[in-house]
Amino acid sequence: MRDMIAQINIDYDLCQDPLVCRGCLTVCPTVVFVCGPTKIWKFRETDTKEYKVVARYIDKCSGCGDCEKACPTGALKLGFISRAELRDRFRAERAAKLAAQQIQE
Amino acid sequence: MCWLCEKYGDSEGGRWYLNPENYARRLYKVRKATEEASGADADPQSAGMGAGAIAELIKARIAEDPEWEKEVRDEALEHAYQTHFAQVVTVDEFMQILDTAYPLVKMTCGCRRVQRGMPDEENFTCMGIGPGMYKWERWPETYRGGVEFMTPEEAKEWALINHKQGRVQTIDVFGTPYIGGLCQCEYPGCVAVRNRVDYDFKFLLKGHSVAKVDRDKCTGCKSCLNRCQFKALNLEVYTNKAYIDLDTCFGCGLCATACPVDAINLLDRESLPGLANNW
Ligand code: SF4
Ligand code: SF4
Ligand code: SF4
Ligand code: SF4
Repeated sequence: MRDMIAQINIDYDLCQDPLVCRGCLTVCPTVVFVCGPTKIWKFRETDTKEYKVVARYIDKCSGCGDCEKACPTGALKLGFISRAELRDRFRAERAAKLAAQQIQE
Repeated sequence: MCWLCEKYGDSEGGRWYLNPENYARRLYKVRKATEEASGADADPQSAGMGAGAIAELIKARIAEDPEWEKEVRDEALEHAYQTHFAQVVTVDEFMQILDTAYPLVKMTCGCRRVQRGMPDEENFTCMGIGPGMYKWERWPETYRGGVEFMTPEEAKEWALINHKQGRVQTIDVFGTPYIGGLCQCEYPGCVAVRNRVDYDFKFLLKGHSVAKVDRDKCTGCKSCLNRCQFKALNLEVYTNKAYIDLDTCFGCGLCATACPVDAINLLDRESLPGLANNW
């Protein structure tokens, strides 16, 4: 696994119609992005405005920077974080969630 | 025996996806009181195709927490096997299915829309099956790009073109055990193939076949090499023979079709004790 993990931030005020733009989706050499409907998936999504692009496969990002260069609106900002730091953050999130579940039960 | 064949196969012990009963989905739906999907409204990360599980799985991997990873996997798969999952089939089986199921339509691929933003009109690579298709014909706005009906002959011709071009053919279940879709896809454009290859997420099951190289026959011509979408095939440079990792092979048969001297045989996975239950 990589030492550095991508943190890709997308400003949704600037990225409004990703299925029309498709910039980052088309250029990424490792298919890091997905553009899913924000409603519950029922195979009847027709409005492209309901779609949002997210960086899902961040563990696959090499950091080549092509997505940021391809983004015509400046919505996409690429950064990196050490895996150790991200690991600790996710562990803390998970611990908090488990603790909350225990209180419920 | 494969658990799906055991449960949904015909009385003669045939493969479950060749049983016509599994193409005869009821036209009504009984709504369950439970939630339909995880909260994609609140969290776009979880949008589309059970992918919330993958977003979570990636987190668990980065956290190096195998217990968390297992929990995500088990929960997502339990749900998937009751509702929506896929399996690789060979081109011969695909043809048999096209003789069994009716009606057949061409439709856009949701995966490549989602992963590559491909415009729907350039992206008709999937097949829908069953009476549900009449609904999408009547109200095309409810499925992007609508549907295009095909006769079984047209469908077979088209499937053969796809196979020759190197696309993996799979069956898709919508409400177990009903098969409502046939996909022709690739790595990494297909969400199911990608998530299986990169994250071992068994939403996509391996096929009943597995490919083996006949080392006497193989001439090292390399025609098969670029065919594998599952990273199971390479050339042994020194012996100049194709090499297939049988543990990794999904049995799609794409390599076998490309071989000019029939040096790749498709075997029945279940006849090989070392591969038993390797789905
Ligand atoms: S930096 Fe390169 S690999 Fe990473 S998401 Fe952007 S285009 Fe893809
Ligand atoms: S390239 Fe930029 S504007 Fe275009 S879809 Fe990606 S994030 Fe949105
Ligand atoms: S080795 Fe051949 S049969 Fe096996 S997955 Fe690859 S292309 Fe398909
Ligand atoms: S196509 Fe056939 S003969 Fe050529 S390398 Fe592959 S297995 Fe060997």
